[in-house]
Amino acid sequence: MEKTTVDNKDNRFELLKELLLADDRKDFNVLKEEVLEREKFKVKVTPVLDERIEDLKVNFSDHFGKNITEAIKIQIRESQDEVVEALYPILGKLVKKFIIAEITKLTESINQTINDKFSISQIIKRLFKGKRTDADDVLQEVFEPIIEEIFVINKDSGLLAGNYSRGNIADKDMVSGMLTAIKSFAKDSFSKDGQDIEDIKFENFQLSIQNFKTIYIATATSGVINPDFEEELLEDINNLAEIILRDRSYLIDEEKLNTIIKNIFIKKE
Amino acid sequence: MIAKKVLLVGNFGVGKTSLIRRFVLNEFSEEYISTIGVRVSSKIIQIENQEIKLLIWDVAGTSDDEKVPKAYFLGSSAAMYVFDLSREETYKNINAKVDIVKELSGLKNITIIGNKKDLVSSKEIEAIKKLIPFSIDLITSAKENENVEDAFKELAKQTLN
Repeated sequence: MEKTTVDNKDNRFELLKELLLADDRKDFNVLKEEVLEREKFKVKVTPVLDERIEDLKVNFSDHFGKNITEAIKIQIRESQDEVVEALYPILGKLVKKFIIAEITKLTESINQTINDKFSISQIIKRLFKGKRTDADDVLQEVFEPIIEEIFVINKDSGLLAGNYSRGNIADKDMVSGMLTAIKSFAKDSFSKDGQDIEDIKFENFQLSIQNFKTIYIATATSGVINPDFEEELLEDINNLAEIILRDRSYLIDEEKLNTIIKNIFIKKE
Repeated sequence: MIAKKVLLVGNFGVGKTSLIRRFVLNEFSEEYISTIGVRVSSKIIQIENQEIKLLIWDVAGTSDDEKVPKAYFLGSSAAMYVFDLSREETYKNINAKVDIVKELSGLKNITIIGNKKDLVSSKEIEAIKKLIPFSIDLITSAKENENVEDAFKELAKQTLN
């Protein structure tokens, strides 16, 4: 009897469970179906997705390169101010760094020159130096004038008689020819009463031309040209011209002329 | 090695620059011709067992009305007058033009070159030869590189005379 009662109780309990959890079980089954469906879908789709991802990894630039480039271009075009603002600190820092480095070099050079200038021997020398200022002295030593090229050229033909070159000049005969052509052009176009071209300045180079009867001497110098250097250079050019014009054999012997040019001018370096 | 200045003259568009381009290695920019009316190029050539460096002055024009400084013609050892076989106006007054070059340069002989052979027939060339009062030294084609080297060799020979 008692067992029967218990059975009845169990049945009622089961029945109650059925009644109370019916909705939950329905929801559970739906969820279970969904999860199972997803698992099945995953199994089917994963290989395809993996394949596609691998393809994108390898060929991303082919698939999207053009679009991305175009998009970036448009973005940059439409946001120029923002781009400049973003790059400015980086570029500014680089420019600043470069300027500081250059100023440091210049400062070191000036300091060295000032130290030299204020040595006892230099102070004694300065007592006798004349009108030149300390600034002139410092600038001259920092940007020392250098003779880069000397050309002795036949006036009419433009043919090179002799030369001295500090560096390597590609075709000195051609340069002499063109220089003569430019000189003739300037004379023909602009000069009055036999005037002639005297100086051509190009960045830190200065080309000076001295005309003589049958030749002209062109000197290319770099650095800061001070009056003393200019005076000495002119004197040397006149000396060279005098030597050549007194002995015309120099004009037909390039080697001989080159030696005399070097002897006269090389001491300046 | 001796360096010699040689002139290359003739009307605009006769092919002087093309002849130079076929022949030389070193040259300045063509812009010089339009700005100052001349360009200097160089080429080393072997003639009669002698090496000569030709400094070729490509002059844009021959007469006063073309505003070319007379100084360009001074001190030259030889000159080449180039005309275009396919354009009559380039050889119509060739006599007078060659005389001007002779007068400005002081040269007695000038090499006469008829260029652009590729544009005319041999019959037409014969007709041109009859029209011109002096003999044409060489008929060239810069385009087909015909007789270009020979023309400059002829010019180099002249510098030795």
